[in-house]
Amino acid sequence: MEVISQDRILDINIGPQHPSTHGVLRMVVSLCGETIININPIIGYLHRGLEKMAENRTYLQYLPIVDRIDYLSGFFCSYAYLNGIEKLLNITPSEKAKYIRTITMEMNRITSHLLWLGCFLMDLGASSPFFYAFIEREKIIDILEDLTGSRMMYNYYTLGGVKRDIDIDILNRIKEFSDHFETALKEYEDLIEGNPIFLSRTKNIGLINKETANQYSITGANLRASGIKKDLRKDSPYLIYNNIDFEVPVLNNEDSFSRFVIRIKEMRESKKIILQCYNWLINHIKDEEIKSNINFMHIKPEGKVISEVESPRGLLQCIIHADGTKKPYRIKWRTPSFYSVQLINNLAKNYKLPDLMSIFGSLDVIMPEVDR
Amino acid sequence: MSIFYLIYIEFMIRINAPHWLIFALWHLISFIFIAILLVITVIILVLFERKYLAFYTRRKGPNRVGTYGCLQTIADAIKLLFKENIEPKNIDKMIYYTAPLLVFSPIMTVWFLIPFTSGIIPFDSSCSLLLFMAILSIPILATLFAGFSSGNKYSLIGGLRACTQAISSEIPLFLCLISISILSGSMNLDSIVKMQNDSIFQWYIFPNILGFIIFFISALIVMNRTPFDLPEAESELTAGYHSEYSGMKFAMFFLGEYALTFILSAFIATLFLGGYNSPMGFYISDLLNLPIIFQEFLKNIEQFIWLMLKTGILILIIMWIRASYPRLTTEKTLIFSWYILTPLAIFNIFIMAIYKLLRSIL
Amino acid sequence: MIKSFILPIKELIKGLYTVFKNGFKKRVTLEYPEKKKLLNNNFRGKINYIKENCIKCGICQNVCPLISCIKIDTDFSIDLSQCIFCGNCVENCPKNALYFTKEYELAVNNKEKLILKEDN
Repeated sequence: MEVISQDRILDINIGPQHPSTHGVLRMVVSLCGETIININPIIGYLHRGLEKMAENRTYLQYLPIVDRIDYLSGFFCSYAYLNGIEKLLNITPSEKAKYIRTITMEMNRITSHLLWLGCFLMDLGASSPFFYAFIEREKIIDILEDLTGSRMMYNYYTLGGVKRDIDIDILNRIKEFSDHFETALKEYEDLIEGNPIFLSRTKNIGLINKETANQYSITGANLRASGIKKDLRKDSPYLIYNNIDFEVPVLNNEDSFSRFVIRIKEMRESKKIILQCYNWLINHIKDEEIKSNINFMHIKPEGKVISEVESPRGLLQCIIHADGTKKPYRIKWRTPSFYSVQLINNLAKNYKLPDLMSIFGSLDVIMPEVDR
Repeated sequence: MSIFYLIYIEFMIRINAPHWLIFALWHLISFIFIAILLVITVIILVLFERKYLAFYTRRKGPNRVGTYGCLQTIADAIKLLFKENIEPKNIDKMIYYTAPLLVFSPIMTVWFLIPFTSGIIPFDSSCSLLLFMAILSIPILATLFAGFSSGNKYSLIGGLRACTQAISSEIPLFLCLISISILSGSMNLDSIVKMQNDSIFQWYIFPNILGFIIFFISALIVMNRTPFDLPEAESELTAGYHSEYSGMKFAMFFLGEYALTFILSAFIATLFLGGYNSPMGFYISDLLNLPIIFQEFLKNIEQFIWLMLKTGILILIIMWIRASYPRLTTEKTLIFSWYILTPLAIFNIFIMAIYKLLRSIL
Repeated sequence: MIKSFILPIKELIKGLYTVFKNGFKKRVTLEYPEKKKLLNNNFRGKINYIKENCIKCGICQNVCPLISCIKIDTDFSIDLSQCIFCGNCVENCPKNALYFTKEYELAVNNKEKLILKEDN
């Protein structure tokens, strides 16, 4: 590579307050002209000490805080945390609880992907897809609000199930939504997928090859866009994913565009899962058992456990080290965005400044998850 | 010259005004009239764009100030007027304060070249196309000034982008003007319009459709509109070259941008869509049986309405494009205008020359 | 060759048309102060306190994820400026002395007003 003299390099700060960093990531970008020489991502502006907070709170006290690890997909964090405790205490959720957890998590996955879609296109300069994505997202969030009582910080799961039963009215609204969701997806595809401007910004840009993906332990849709078929829902099915018919989309193009296509396809699959869960739930509406009778306040689990879940951004792990007291000894979160954000220097080097936004946008990084 | 001018002269002579005053006052009046018209149009345009984008994105748009939000822009302007004048530390003061003035005044000047009706041509010059080319390059200088003097790296990149983009887009833009001159055999805008007056098929869009498309796209690049709004790409450069401008200085850039959009649309309408000519080949006001003075007056109004309608449709399309597309990168914009638009524009001149030749023979 | 020119143009026009179609769909704006969203009974809004039911057991204090949000010394008080509306206290209250209302407009001029005490 050609050596560039120091006086031709312009260092600019992108973030922590910047429209396209999705929160408070700071990137120190060295530019030569508009070509990126080096990117130094600096994280930690949203650090709230969520792992340390666990150490002086009881298991129940920590439960609402878990939702805030990734505020766009709170159900996944809740599930990972509770699943760990359930494993330690040998509690198996009832079948209905499992179905309710699946349906809510898949809806949450759609909201997360829709927000990503809107923001990604906003980064590329298109304004209306942002609104269209948010209109659909709003519908799901309204349903989840009526179900759980809150729009984003759900705090809905509890030990061995969920806090409130799902009623017929909400189920019908879910059905109505998933029936109409296909038209919305079609609309996004019409608007975006073939657009030559969009293609020129995303095709063959930000390539993650298989080797790099494995080296950086990338998971989730970013990994599947690089041609590696890894999805926890298929590989080691949790909840009721065994009984459900769905596909894991994989593409081999490795670029930003394939990451877009993968997420659209994933939303379709999620919709399929939701419909199947709906069909089961509508037949078992009278089942009463939705949570365990153990009092959450007084649990004293013991042992170490790793619980995993396939979150919208990839593999989310919660590692609980319990020492038999009311409070956990240590809780460690393995969050997928933390691994994606490290890729940025590798991916965007030698591209132009506008490409940085399309590459970073396509990775679906969310800062609360990175900093915790 | 025109009916208005004759009435004006008549009136001035009756009140015994000196000759120099008659001449000076006429220009002053037309200047004030046109300037106020521009400001009003821009104010309407800003509100209209917000409403129109809201229409496409299933919102309602501003609807709090006045009925249906009709006073929103005025409220915004008042807010900007009362803002504190923030002066960044590392600025080059002289250039920093010149830039907002430089962006608005040339645009105002270009506005004078447009023949609004057959009676109102504020500045009728035999080489108004040439003037148009020359004056249109000045606002680009303002963006460059703003970028360099702000002492902000984002502004600098924005200014440089604006500059490269302007150079690359103005060449196809001006090449299209040459094709228009070839067709009309004139550089006077009024005579270009008069050449298109018979019917809708006389409009230059029909022989020169390629030129129209190239002109339209290059105009989008000059206007910094989506998909070519790179100098102020929000997701990359926060606000581009006007990052460091606040209050009224920002308003100047903002209004200048909209004024440029409007004027370039009016120019496209004048050059390709027959200007103030009616698309039907006759004027509705001609059908009425009225005294000649009234009829002339009504005809002027009708011509003005036709021009505004055509401009309006073009602006609708420009805003529609803004609602639909993402933004290109700098590199792709330059490749697009140098490798596709410029050769096509040259090719277009060639075609137009042959067309003209064939028409004169046959 | 010609196809590679026509296809992008077709897609661009398709994009324009998709946006255009949206112009005629139902508006989604909710004009907030005049119109409000309908909330159902699960909604977690401002917490209310029934003095008669409270036995001052201190469970709410123990399940609250925040350190100084709920205070019970001689009086019961919740600081709503700290509250994250998680619902732990309401769910775990043995005597149903706490319940959620649908009130969510909690902006006040004085922070003191947000401390919910026994006597009000």
